[in-house]
Amino acid sequence: MHGMMTYFIRRVLLIPVTFVCITLMVYSILRIVPGGPIEQAQLQIKQAMMQEGGGAGGGDMTGDLQIPQDAMDALKEYYKLDKPVLVGYLYWLWGVLTGNFGTSYIQGDPVLKVIGSKIPVSIWFGLSGYIATWLICVPLGIFKALKHRSVFDTGSSILVFLGYSVPGFVACMILLVLFGGGSYWDLVPLGGFQSQNFAEMGFFEQILDRAHHMFVPVIGYLITGFALMTILMKNSLLDNLGADYVRTAFAKGLSERRVIFMHALRNSMIPITAGIGHALGLLFAGSFLIEKTCNIPGMGLLGYMSIIQRDYPIILGVLVIGVLLRLTGNIFSDIVWALIDPRIRFS
Amino acid sequence: MSAAWTIFTVIYILAAGFLFTHKLLPFLVTKAGRAMGFKMEMSPIWAKRIARFKRIKRGYYAFRIITTLFVLSFFLELMLNNRPIAIHYQGKTAFPAVKEWLHSVLFFTDVTYFQKKSEWGQIGESEVDYRRFKRYSRDPDDYADIAEMRKEIEGKPAPRKEDSYYQWEKYQKTKEKIEQHEALYETFKDGSAWCVMPLYPYSWSEHLLDLPDRPPTSPDWQHPLGTDDSGLDVLPQLAYGFRISLLFALLVAAIGYSIGVIVGGVMGYYGGWTDILVQRFIEIWSSVPFLFTIMIIASIIQPQFLHLVILLIILRGWIGITYTIRGEFYREKARDYVQAAIAMGQGDWKVMTRHILPNALVPIVTFAPFGIVAYIGSLVSLDYLGFGLPVGTPSWGGLLNQGMKHVLHYPHLILITAGSFSATLFCVVMIGEAVREAFDPKVFSRLR
Repeated sequence: MHGMMTYFIRRVLLIPVTFVCITLMVYSILRIVPGGPIEQAQLQIKQAMMQEGGGAGGGDMTGDLQIPQDAMDALKEYYKLDKPVLVGYLYWLWGVLTGNFGTSYIQGDPVLKVIGSKIPVSIWFGLSGYIATWLICVPLGIFKALKHRSVFDTGSSILVFLGYSVPGFVACMILLVLFGGGSYWDLVPLGGFQSQNFAEMGFFEQILDRAHHMFVPVIGYLITGFALMTILMKNSLLDNLGADYVRTAFAKGLSERRVIFMHALRNSMIPITAGIGHALGLLFAGSFLIEKTCNIPGMGLLGYMSIIQRDYPIILGVLVIGVLLRLTGNIFSDIVWALIDPRIRFS
Repeated sequence: MSAAWTIFTVIYILAAGFLFTHKLLPFLVTKAGRAMGFKMEMSPIWAKRIARFKRIKRGYYAFRIITTLFVLSFFLELMLNNRPIAIHYQGKTAFPAVKEWLHSVLFFTDVTYFQKKSEWGQIGESEVDYRRFKRYSRDPDDYADIAEMRKEIEGKPAPRKEDSYYQWEKYQKTKEKIEQHEALYETFKDGSAWCVMPLYPYSWSEHLLDLPDRPPTSPDWQHPLGTDDSGLDVLPQLAYGFRISLLFALLVAAIGYSIGVIVGGVMGYYGGWTDILVQRFIEIWSSVPFLFTIMIIASIIQPQFLHLVILLIILRGWIGITYTIRGEFYREKARDYVQAAIAMGQGDWKVMTRHILPNALVPIVTFAPFGIVAYIGSLVSLDYLGFGLPVGTPSWGGLLNQGMKHVLHYPHLILITAGSFSATLFCVVMIGEAVREAFDPKVFSRLR
């Protein structure tokens, strides 16, 4: 047990190091290149003056816009651009540690508030997708292992390979084209989280509406994990069915059903259950590709839009959440594994 | 060209490509290897593995299909192009498509394949409209514009310069054009002009201006896979996109695995502090959300093909293989043959490359197809999100992006692109599965 404690302490101590390395890298990239907040502010002022000038019927619009030097300095100070990259980073890091991620350049809201409003949407779809994956892949994997090399096994293997070769977002696209009400059938909405008139609906209508909108993205998430999880389940169970303890159990005279479901299955569920930590990222932060394809206003779409709009505080905020989820998820997986499998000894 | 003739040509090209890839190329490589003094014989264990791979039919056929198509795709300029393979007019002959093909294969050479209209019996200084040239050279009476233009000006009084300068100028220009065309008609009429177009006379980069409707257009007989919303034909885009995607994935896999094998080998061979330090570094590095980071960088530098290759290698390509290679080297180093080699005074590098590496190759070979699937997927995802190859590169991701814009009315964009994308990945997955089964067979024993 001692070795295990040191293992976990080392893993936890590595989190801050990793966190600082990654965020410092991205922060430096964002600081060094043009297109930052000053340029954004210039652009906004320019547009405002264009509109004003248009209204007033003239003015010199041809020359380059000059922001007064003192205003420029004030802006730079506000965004900590007058300081070296490292100092600016330390300010940002201090802000993160005290819970102040800055404010969005575009929307003007605090970053945490923006992210906080998006996370539930991502969880809604990510969690449903994950549950669907479990509900389908685990029984399928078990069945494939029990019927190894049968017609059913071969047939469903084709399905598994197909699922591996069609990325989730491409599956979403195909579904949207076929069932989105375009040229073929009109069964599902083209995307989004809920209908426009969601607030006016009754309770059951709301449930139906949510389910209606969930169909395509959940299948997307399902296909993302489908092949790997099914194969993992199948191989894990096959490994256990060939193990010595299963032979012993049979030799004791236990029934086949009891051996498979009480002995082999319990052990072969371990790797799958431990994978839950690695899925945390997808659960909470969603996938860029699926959220963009299905137009779901979650974390993935937020990250994508923030890169397009060069909204640096949001980019860094999304990055922080993503990195933290991944790091804690990995440790969480290890802990789960150690808890459910007494044989495991990390060192 | 009749449909039967087209089908025959396609089959002929596919058969020739197959023979070239799977008969001629291996033969040539063996000959060249022998000439350079290599033995070019497989060790029995590799021969056995490959024989086992060939027995797994689905994987072997997928391998043959993909390699044939990939080798053929290096000749795309001669098959799907709006420039002719050969063109002859007034005693001079040019080979624009051949030159373009040379340029794309030997990209460092400076070849011009541009042909001016005025030199090839058309009016203007832009590039020749080869499809039209072909039509005229076959049937000079197909000069439809002349008849129309003649209709426009004949039977009407010539506008006077004083009344409307615009009308007068238009009249003069039309008259001039008709005269020129009539002169051209004479030269085309003698039948000495000819032109050999590629099998499919449209290129991935030509914005078609003579479409029946506003682009995108749905599939029809002229453009069997339709056009996209800037009037580019989808079929050549798919074909050239196939070449780019596969080339991209192969490059990332090859370079990434080379780096990964070196790093993993050093970790496993030396162990100790080197191992621990590099392990910690990999642990940190593998936590970088790579898609997000590439998107951030790509939004700033607008990457070219090679930039993306390098980015993907640095952020992801080299990591996955290090774990397995490290384990293999760690295990093999303890074996007697390695200890014997070390005791004989062989250098570290030689022990690693000559003795251990050949025994650690299996994981590399079994990983590669799945790596290629992942990298094709990465490229298509980045292109789809708009952070991939520059605009104006044929790409599957770009087509998917367009398809989502026209999801309601032009389903062909998504269905065709997603279909060929998935079919390609499916073939590669089949290869990977067969390779895994052949190289690393697992025997599940079960009591009941």
